[in-house]
Amino acid sequence: MKDFARRMLSLDRRLIFLLIAVVTLLPLLYPLGLPIRVSPEVRKIYDYMESLPEGSLFLLSLDFDPSSKPELYPMSIALLRHAFRKNLKVVGMTLWITGTSMAESVVAGVAQESGKEKGKDYVFLGYGPGGANVIISMGQDLYATFPTDYYGAKTAELPMLKEVRTLRDIQYVISLSAGSPGVETWYVYGKEKYGFELGGGCTAVSAPGLYPLIDTGQINGLLGGLRGAAEYETLVGVAGKATAGMDAQSATHFLIIVLIVVCNLFYFLTGQEGRRRG
Amino acid sequence: MSTEMLIGAWVATGLSLFMYSFLYKDNPFFKLGEHIYVGVSVGYGLVITYYEVMVKKLYAPMVQEGNWWLILPTILGLLVLARFIPALAWLSRISFAFIVGVGSGIAIPRVISSLILQQVQGTLKPLVTVGDGGVAWFTFAGLNTLLILVGVVSVLFYFFFSIEHTGVVHRVARVGIYFLMVSFGAAFGYTVMARMSLLIGRFDELIQYASPDYGYATLVLLAAVVVGLVWWERGRSPESDNG
Repeated sequence: MKDFARRMLSLDRRLIFLLIAVVTLLPLLYPLGLPIRVSPEVRKIYDYMESLPEGSLFLLSLDFDPSSKPELYPMSIALLRHAFRKNLKVVGMTLWITGTSMAESVVAGVAQESGKEKGKDYVFLGYGPGGANVIISMGQDLYATFPTDYYGAKTAELPMLKEVRTLRDIQYVISLSAGSPGVETWYVYGKEKYGFELGGGCTAVSAPGLYPLIDTGQINGLLGGLRGAAEYETLVGVAGKATAGMDAQSATHFLIIVLIVVCNLFYFLTGQEGRRRG
Repeated sequence: MSTEMLIGAWVATGLSLFMYSFLYKDNPFFKLGEHIYVGVSVGYGLVITYYEVMVKKLYAPMVQEGNWWLILPTILGLLVLARFIPALAWLSRISFAFIVGVGSGIAIPRVISSLILQQVQGTLKPLVTVGDGGVAWFTFAGLNTLLILVGVVSVLFYFFFSIEHTGVVHRVARVGIYFLMVSFGAAFGYTVMARMSLLIGRFDELIQYASPDYGYATLVLLAAVVVGLVWWERGRSPESDNG
């Protein structure tokens, strides 16, 4: 038994890679349709968006780049669809320079799909250099921070931004972030000073660090990773990439749990001598 | 489908497969993909910075709108580059002094207020609440509050190194270790979820690009990478793996 356990522990790790690949691939090809339970922190964001009156200003800061696309792109699509369906006025922007083109394509793409007009129903401000300084500057004068939008139109002359001089005029801000600058930056330099309500979306890696901000009410909700995106898609009622990926996510998690249990079992079966040999 | 989309799909598929080929072992396909990634990232960053910052935030407001005061931050920015000229390197200190001074002035009060005071406030919630219905001695919210309180205090004890961890201090610090372990476990679980999400994202696109619309890009390139790896392996000496 000890020998068998030892042999199993020294198996080529590429077999595990292969197993993970197969378990990820199968549910993507043949979806299982596992149920998705909506967590309170995701529902709070949805409920707040629902409570906003038509025409309210909603700022979505897409603070990520293509390396976090699988998690945050589906979130941005679900949030934008919800905002446009509610006839909110959407302001898109990014604090991440390498995410500028992707952020523009998602805002413009969902706006076009929802039949919204650029400059009237939505604007995309583009990238602002300086992270926290951009937020502080927007809190004082939005036109000075972004004299033109991404497409070169003067922000002060855009019909949608006529009444928007600073961040104080925005009803709800959500930052979808893959790190810093992101949700925390928006809270520290934005919400506390300028008083708008703030929600967050982040990669799963950053989620544990942001949960304390929900507990204290510093952010009103959080979409964490692909799971958060899938939950929001469920609430909006449009199954997208995140929902499609959740079966694969569950399957791989199940496999990893099994591997951890089995490997620990083999580890203890090797006996004291085997454990010493490592 | 446009030709650009088709080329983009083939390039994306090829590079994804090159990067995943590392799971077999380090190989020239992976190295090529890695170098292309670094080069493209830097190039893309430079182009976007030039257009979004230098042109839109500096040149246009200065030259077209006459905001000549922007010359001041421009000079401060240029002074940073003086570090590359040893004789003038001292000039860069002016810019760094400005950055450190303004940065600290902005960050310190905001961070203390947001991430320390408010978090401490969140830790000190009442265990017993008095409302219209009388005194609520113990609720699930109260259980959370108690857990947070015990967790914060015991972890602080663990990181308190000024006294020897013996007796009661040792026992409290031990509880702190358990809280830390749970926290590391949760963080690791989320990390696994994040990495799996990235894999799912890539697989999702690879499946999409395997369709006839994209000329079976994934299947063709997967076969090409496998053949390439076999050819590369056959051309290597047996000692290569050891050295």
